[in-house]
Amino acid sequence: METMQPSDSALISLYIAGKEEAFELLLERHKSRVFTTIMLIVRDEAVAEDLLQDTFIKAIHTMKGGRYNEEGKFSSWICRIAHNLAIDFFRREKRNPLLNLDTTSHAFNSLSLAEEGAEATITREETHARLRELIQDLPAAQKEVLIMRHYGEMSFQEIADATGVSINTALGRMRYALINLRKKMAAQPIFYDQNIYPRETDPVPIQRIAG
Amino acid sequence: MIKTFTHEKLIRYLYNELPANEQQEIEQALLHDPKLASTCADLLLAQRCLNDLRTTPRKEVTDSILRYSRTFLVP
Repeated sequence: METMQPSDSALISLYIAGKEEAFELLLERHKSRVFTTIMLIVRDEAVAEDLLQDTFIKAIHTMKGGRYNEEGKFSSWICRIAHNLAIDFFRREKRNPLLNLDTTSHAFNSLSLAEEGAEATITREETHARLRELIQDLPAAQKEVLIMRHYGEMSFQEIADATGVSINTALGRMRYALINLRKKMAAQPIFYDQNIYPRETDPVPIQRIAG
Repeated sequence: MIKTFTHEKLIRYLYNELPANEQQEIEQALLHDPKLASTCADLLLAQRCLNDLRTTPRKEVTDSILRYSRTFLVP
């Protein structure tokens, strides 16, 4: 029997009331999409780890300081913080995100050679690296909506509000982002097999052991 | 009669943002409109590939956030 999962709002109330375990659950629930959102913007594992910590530290201060606004979803709120911090990082550093081309960064490699055949792992990693490059090549507005919706799980209305455009503009940008990605993928042999024979199941993420 | 759908509505369908009645309408249309079904399949394939990029931070990083939370006192 499936156990009932407490809502984010319930966990936040418990956390504010002093239950640290509630925050642990919140972090567990949201860490992956927040981290992926940051990684796709900064493309540097060490920076992404720092920004992930900054994001949650900001959330801790806001919640424990009694300033958390119950309106809206926690998931959208935390992703907006992460997104803003990642963008601010580049503004501050005046760095070009495309400079870091280390797309084989081990943060993205959740499967070890032992878990999957070596050849399959290499192919998968090459495919993922290429896909990350394709995302980086999208026009900035399309990339922003794609990251916020697909990884940040913000609704299109929330994205429209956060970026100051209409919902139809946000939807249009997402549509073009997916179409552009699909066209570019179709033009590259590395994506050929998986597009014709898509896998039936999602990969099982394996927790990496810190090295 | 096959109802026509805007591309924006299709995107909302792909991301489960349509109300139940509109979702059913679009699913009916997908059965009878090969062009719409083909567009939808293309978008779904792109969407599926994106799912593979999700990643998880190292345990040390999340442990450090938890430690911070436990020791943080409201000023």
